[in-house]
Amino acid sequence: MLEFLFKYPGTVFSKGNLVLLGGWPVWLLLLLIVGGALALGWPVWKQRDRTVGRAKGFRLAVLWLLQCGMLALLLLLLWQPAVSVSSLKPQQNIVAVMVDDSRSMGLQEEGKTRKDQVLGALNSGLLEQLGKKFQVRMYRFSGALDRVEKLEEITAQGNASRLGENLSQVATESATLPVGAIVMFSDGADNTGGVDLETVNLLKRQRIPVHTVGVGREKFNKDLEITDVQMAPRVLADSRLSALVTLKQRGLKDQKARLSVKSGTSTLASQDVVLKADGTLQAETVVFNAGTAGLKNISVSADVLPGEENPNNNSVARVVNVEGRKPRILYIEGEPKWEFKFIRRAVEEDRTLQLATMLRTTQNKIYRQGINAPAELETGFPAKVDELFAYQGIIIGGVEAGYFTAAQMELIKQFVDRRGGGVLFLAGRGGLGEGGWGKSAAADFLPVSLPDKKGTFHRDPAYVELTQAGRESLICRLDENAEKNTERWKKLPYLADYQEAGTPKPGAVVLVDAAPTSKGKYPLLVTQNYGRGRVGVMATQGTWRWQMTQPLADKSHEMFWQQLLRWLVQDTPGHVLASTPKSVLADEQKVLLRADVRDRNYLPMTDAKVVANIIGPAGTAEQVQMGPDPLTPGTFTAEWRAEKPGAYVAEILAKKGEEETGRDVLNFRREDGVAENFGAEQNRELLEKLASETGGKYYKVNDLSKLPEEISYSEAGITVRETKDLWNMPAVFLAILLMRGAEWLLRRRWGVV
Amino acid sequence: MLVRKAVMVLVGAMTLISASYAFQRARSFFEEDEANIPLPPDANEKTEYTFARLRYPSFRGGAAYWSARGNWTVDYPKADRQFVQGVRRLSRIHTKSVETVVDLETDEIFNYPWVYVVEAGHWDLPEAQTKKLREYLLRGGFLMTDDFHGTFEWDIFTASMSRVFPDRPIVDIENKDAIFHVLYDLDERFQVPGIIMFYSGRTYEYDGIEAKWRGIYDDNGRIMVAVCHNMDLGDAWEWADHPRYPERYASLAYRVGINYIIYAMTH
Repeated sequence: MLEFLFKYPGTVFSKGNLVLLGGWPVWLLLLLIVGGALALGWPVWKQRDRTVGRAKGFRLAVLWLLQCGMLALLLLLLWQPAVSVSSLKPQQNIVAVMVDDSRSMGLQEEGKTRKDQVLGALNSGLLEQLGKKFQVRMYRFSGALDRVEKLEEITAQGNASRLGENLSQVATESATLPVGAIVMFSDGADNTGGVDLETVNLLKRQRIPVHTVGVGREKFNKDLEITDVQMAPRVLADSRLSALVTLKQRGLKDQKARLSVKSGTSTLASQDVVLKADGTLQAETVVFNAGTAGLKNISVSADVLPGEENPNNNSVARVVNVEGRKPRILYIEGEPKWEFKFIRRAVEEDRTLQLATMLRTTQNKIYRQGINAPAELETGFPAKVDELFAYQGIIIGGVEAGYFTAAQMELIKQFVDRRGGGVLFLAGRGGLGEGGWGKSAAADFLPVSLPDKKGTFHRDPAYVELTQAGRESLICRLDENAEKNTERWKKLPYLADYQEAGTPKPGAVVLVDAAPTSKGKYPLLVTQNYGRGRVGVMATQGTWRWQMTQPLADKSHEMFWQQLLRWLVQDTPGHVLASTPKSVLADEQKVLLRADVRDRNYLPMTDAKVVANIIGPAGTAEQVQMGPDPLTPGTFTAEWRAEKPGAYVAEILAKKGEEETGRDVLNFRREDGVAENFGAEQNRELLEKLASETGGKYYKVNDLSKLPEEISYSEAGITVRETKDLWNMPAVFLAILLMRGAEWLLRRRWGVV
Repeated sequence: MLVRKAVMVLVGAMTLISASYAFQRARSFFEEDEANIPLPPDANEKTEYTFARLRYPSFRGGAAYWSARGNWTVDYPKADRQFVQGVRRLSRIHTKSVETVVDLETDEIFNYPWVYVVEAGHWDLPEAQTKKLREYLLRGGFLMTDDFHGTFEWDIFTASMSRVFPDRPIVDIENKDAIFHVLYDLDERFQVPGIIMFYSGRTYEYDGIEAKWRGIYDDNGRIMVAVCHNMDLGDAWEWADHPRYPERYASLAYRVGINYIIYAMTH
């Protein structure tokens, strides 16, 4: 209907420019319109206070406006309006028809695969119509782009869609070919990063419109999908690890699904979840023990529910490097106390952590335990960078701030900020506010603003209360089941003492509160990140009662301290910290390697020589030079392609001259045939956006009748400029009739002759 | 024959007179044990460490004078109070100025991870108490036993202790063990006598001629029970201020006691 009224398809108007062919100047048109309006308005103005017939004021103005509109339209027609639009020269341009050949196109919908829907559309005259106007080049695309001669070559067996890469390749080819437009058939299900801005800009620069044809259902009837799993890529042996699982479901609201975490064939943890509203992303946390040191291939899966249309999107894989290193923690305590003994005992049961302690037994004597050599800590708390930075964490018990020299205090700060270590402050007669820490140089990096008063340490009973953040934190997980964990915390015996820790700073997280039996509630365990490291406050020295007053078999005390201290040191980096954005390359080859390289004092090292020695499947080995990132001193990066599916180990080595300054190991795995299982619903939003950004249009696969006509209007390829008259549009005559008819009717109604 | 009888009567009379004198002197020391020592002004201060004395059922309860109020009360409370003064002065341990008494009938003992047992050669723990003591020690509690002497009292001590830990031997603590070095280096230890030395002139009692520094270890090589056999550290603490009690014994007793506390707070 609209096309009848306006004579041309909408594309002509959206792509064309309005021109006036009359030759007379535009200002004259405007002048005549204004002059005419004034001339018509003068008699109306004169009679503004009089009643003409039954019309006065507003009614007269309406009649005047109709007359003006009529006059303006007639004058415009005299100037001969037209649309100037570029269109492709027949038979001189290429239209690239790209068909998604990935496995998601093989999904069955209403008895037909998506691929068959596409082939059906192409065979039912579309190709023929396109062929009459253009040279048609057929491509299939998935992981790579291939030109095909016959539609039979499209098999829906490819691993990933890679819309961006393949579009970019077609656009690059068009630099030497007159590609006038791209028609892309796809479900838009791209799990390799979508269409990047660079590709869109390339298409825009070359003015190639991408007309997208959406295939596949936009919403499944019944499906459960794990859309993402986040977990730490590296963890200390025997640590608890959390998998943050994001789920999406259709048609299964309120049903129960079982999430499982497996390493190989052994199940590490499982839990039931109730599915939330359709289409919403639901986050669930599954906690499990990472087990012994070694590379772990972890899979997180949801059991397939009855009637699921796509059972292949219920499992996601990740690689976790369970590290065998044993971080060392320096614990300085100001006076003998039971907490000291029981913390030591908790750590002794941990095969991973090492504790070196120095205890002030008398005013002038320090008792050392857990030292590696007689000279370690012999002269007291370390005063040199290399001595202190040899540890991964520090615990400062009830020691007054004044016990440390200004240089030592600065070292402690740098230990967190620069070295990336963890510092934990404990309560005590000489701890926190009582020890003057609130007014020390350390006040900057404490997670709390300590109270500016004395008498904050109380040897009175206090129960513990887990906060919401504490319920979610691995530090406080005494049971892998979240509900049982909360119950367990409620049953913990009271603490022997507590200390008022003040107010948590913005950015700090309170995990546990102390609720004294006498009064109030105070933050007990508060953590925050500072610089590259982390700082915590544990405002009690009385958790030893958890050990002494609970049955021997209860491991709450040991578990809590082991987990708190693992948090303290787990992320403390070495001189080289290697990372990659993705540990599992799902149908991808490109790996970005990154290394943060520091010198012996943990200052960014810009003059290092950094290489990655990569060992791949079947023993393939390659050495990759990593280059410095100009924007981030000390950071080195390299991009590399994992040519074969399988497991890869990259050992990243930093040297200064011939001297090695540090190394780190990184693991990743390439998996093929995975990505297409996910995001299999038609991503209409992506297809529409791609079309609109490039000047194309989105079509449904079963409604392509206008495509051959609309595709002609393009500024790419070999074009011709067409001028299309507008004066003879039916809409113009309709407008004239409507305006005159309306005026006539109103005059009759209002008695204005 | 008459002469012989007269000598025997004389000897007997002398023995009786001596024993009576000794008993009276002992009574005077004992009465000092029981003396109503006023509480120090800071007795209610809340501290980290409290000297906890174990109240236990006595073997042959009531048969001996000391058992009249229980063997566990020997030297109580003077020894405890004098000892903690030393702990306060010589270390950074935040110490309560008065002792507390705990037993194995309630769970209160679990609030005191260091417990002292005097006259352990006279205890007789019922089954339930041996189980509780075992649990206490395995959770992390520390027990110091003192002031029992000779084979006979050793056998009584081990009769109960072997029911606490049927599977763990009582062994000599080696010189190199941390318990003898945690604060003071105690490589040269000697027998610390009780006040009986004033009358007998000997540093030992019964057949307990040689001081034994023994212990029971846990699976991680930590001492749970420190057994001070054939010595009387409690008396040394109690009479450290007595002009007749040699300083060297008192000093060693204090050092051992403080080492044992710090060991219990660090291991």
